[in-house]
Amino acid sequence: MTTTLSTTGRRASTRRRTDRRLGGRRANLLYVPALILFALFTVYPLLKGVELSFTNWNGFSPRSSYVGFDNYLRLLHDANVRKTLANTLIYGVGSTLVQQILGLGLALALDRAMRGRNLARAIIYLPALVSPVVMGTMYYLFFQYNNGVLNDVTGWFGGEKVAWLSSANTALIIVVMVNSLQFVGVSMIIYLAGLQSIPWMYTEAAMLDGADAWQRFRYITLPLLQPAFATSIVLNLIGGLKLFDVIKVLTGGGPGYATNSLSTFISVTYFDAQSAGYASAMGVVLFLLIVVFTIAANTALNRRRMEEM
Amino acid sequence: MKSRPLATAAIGALALTLVACSSTAPSGTVTDGNAASFKLEFQTGLAVDTPILTTLTDLTGKFQGANPGVTIDLVPRSNTYEADLKVRLAGGNAPDLWATHGWSLLRYSEFLVPLQNEAWAKNFNPALDAAMKNKAGEFFAYPVDTDIAGIVYNADALKTAGVDPTKIKSWNDFGQALSALKAAGITPITASGKDNWFAGNLVDWMLSGAYSEAQAKDLANGTFVSDGYRLVLDQIAKWRDEGMFNVDYSSATTDDIARALGEAKTGFVFIQNSLTNNALEFNPDAKLGYIPVPSFVGDNYLIGGESQAYGISKASKHIDTAKAYLAFLAQPENTSALAAAAGTIPGLTNAKVEPGHLAASYDAFVAPGNIPLVPYFDRVSLPNGMWNTVVSTADSIITGQADVDAAVGVLKSDFTNLHGQSQ
Repeated sequence: MTTTLSTTGRRASTRRRTDRRLGGRRANLLYVPALILFALFTVYPLLKGVELSFTNWNGFSPRSSYVGFDNYLRLLHDANVRKTLANTLIYGVGSTLVQQILGLGLALALDRAMRGRNLARAIIYLPALVSPVVMGTMYYLFFQYNNGVLNDVTGWFGGEKVAWLSSANTALIIVVMVNSLQFVGVSMIIYLAGLQSIPWMYTEAAMLDGADAWQRFRYITLPLLQPAFATSIVLNLIGGLKLFDVIKVLTGGGPGYATNSLSTFISVTYFDAQSAGYASAMGVVLFLLIVVFTIAANTALNRRRMEEM
Repeated sequence: MKSRPLATAAIGALALTLVACSSTAPSGTVTDGNAASFKLEFQTGLAVDTPILTTLTDLTGKFQGANPGVTIDLVPRSNTYEADLKVRLAGGNAPDLWATHGWSLLRYSEFLVPLQNEAWAKNFNPALDAAMKNKAGEFFAYPVDTDIAGIVYNADALKTAGVDPTKIKSWNDFGQALSALKAAGITPITASGKDNWFAGNLVDWMLSGAYSEAQAKDLANGTFVSDGYRLVLDQIAKWRDEGMFNVDYSSATTDDIARALGEAKTGFVFIQNSLTNNALEFNPDAKLGYIPVPSFVGDNYLIGGESQAYGISKASKHIDTAKAYLAFLAQPENTSALAAAAGTIPGLTNAKVEPGHLAASYDAFVAPGNIPLVPYFDRVSLPNGMWNTVVSTADSIITGQADVDAAVGVLKSDFTNLHGQSQ
């Protein structure tokens, strides 16, 4: 008995010591490894990218020289950069809009008790687990002119074949839709989590007060979904602005430069056009663009949430 | 004891840092440079299952058999071969040997061992001089073959349309041939914006005949001359407006084009002759050939230059072994076998020419030596890195995304920037 008490006492003492050690400044040391990895693989490449943006490096030669702000000035006059910047915004904002509308709709539909609900949720979420390259290839096979699924199906009904990827506008819309459909499941899950966190008593009280379905949605569900909105919108916005894989596989940035995003154009400029310095300047701009949009979206959504409260 | 968490965190971080920062051992050094057995990495730039990779694998097996302890690791190409190589060069991690895919001189020479003093160098095909030798007479890769390209055609398609390829002497003749093909329901020119080098080839092929010698010299010296570009892009825009390109242009793959060529569904393709091998896979009986490229300003010509060529990294720990390996490949029977597998002309003059299914075109246009063989325009007259702009602007014109003025503007801008960067 004495032994048991003694052992228990030592354990308690050890736990107290450990608790003390984990408290305060010492606990901060535990995230040092993660901090070092973050510095090595995120901060250092970022700073190196910024440094490169002031050079004329071709991406592989041991030689390069500093060119000051030339690359940034060149950005201002490059029509292709303007085009790809516009495309990037279309991908970012377009995909975000489509994913919010579809994601919220699906979440509302699948939040109800119904048969096959879990299966439907799983099926809608599954594409998010697939590599965007695979997704892009699948849709390429869907939209291609010869032997494309869409043209074959329309052909059964006497329709003419259409070169879907030849038109810049159509190709842009296709890229937005493919990206949105792939990740709509993510938005749906976020909204489902948001819906399930809304206490039933609010809805019940509103029903007792005679609120109809639209009023309950407008005045209870939507305001209480604000945190979910913020999360989903910011995630989708960042994903859309960084869009790369689907474009690379589906359209290759063409026709011409018509469907390039900044990400794909950076890749082409860095590796194919051998202008690593210039590509790095574009990368810095893309980084700042994402920062600005993310902060703006977060600020706007938080302000709205405060107003609702 | 008190310092254990701190020590653990510090040691862990240090270990992770060391793992992350440690550079990989130089390729080709399994243990060390004096080891009895070692491995050389060879980035072949060849797709798996191609006849030339099969032949190269067989030959490499023989070399390894004769040199116990030496292993040559033949790495097939990836979709991002060029980008991968550039990253490795930038990181100081070059393979021991690599395929230079047309750029042994202009892009890779600073990383490669000069080979002009090798015993086999006396058989270097002079047709490759412009593309592969610098002013000092140095060259940096063993040339497996000499790329000879014209405008590839399907003889059955032309016959159906009543077109005699030997009578095409000018772009006007070529335009009439295209009209005849279109009238016969055959796609006149097949290209691709997906595998977009087809679009780039179209412009590159034509540019060589669109600039006078003096203008080409100006370009090479960094003065942009728009006339030739405008001429070529106007011609392509005209063909586009007349519906001379394949309808599936934006989604066609190389295989789609090879199939169309093999099955006589297209008349012409602007591509290296090696594509005819792919076309024969779809139709072994296809009758294929090539014609010289008509010129706007001078004589008609064929395009030639570096195709399959292998260089040795200056940083390799096994340069002598790599040289011995290239010397083995450069033996006449081995070079002949490789060139035959590629369906091209050998890069060494002592190897046997086996033009195979393209023998008729070879006999008509190459063997007599009357048709000039000019280098790829972008490689000699444009700054390194312009190929991408050539491709994208050609694609923009064919798809109607840009007019000629806009495309020439992009070319001028990129030309100026890249030339400035190379200085």
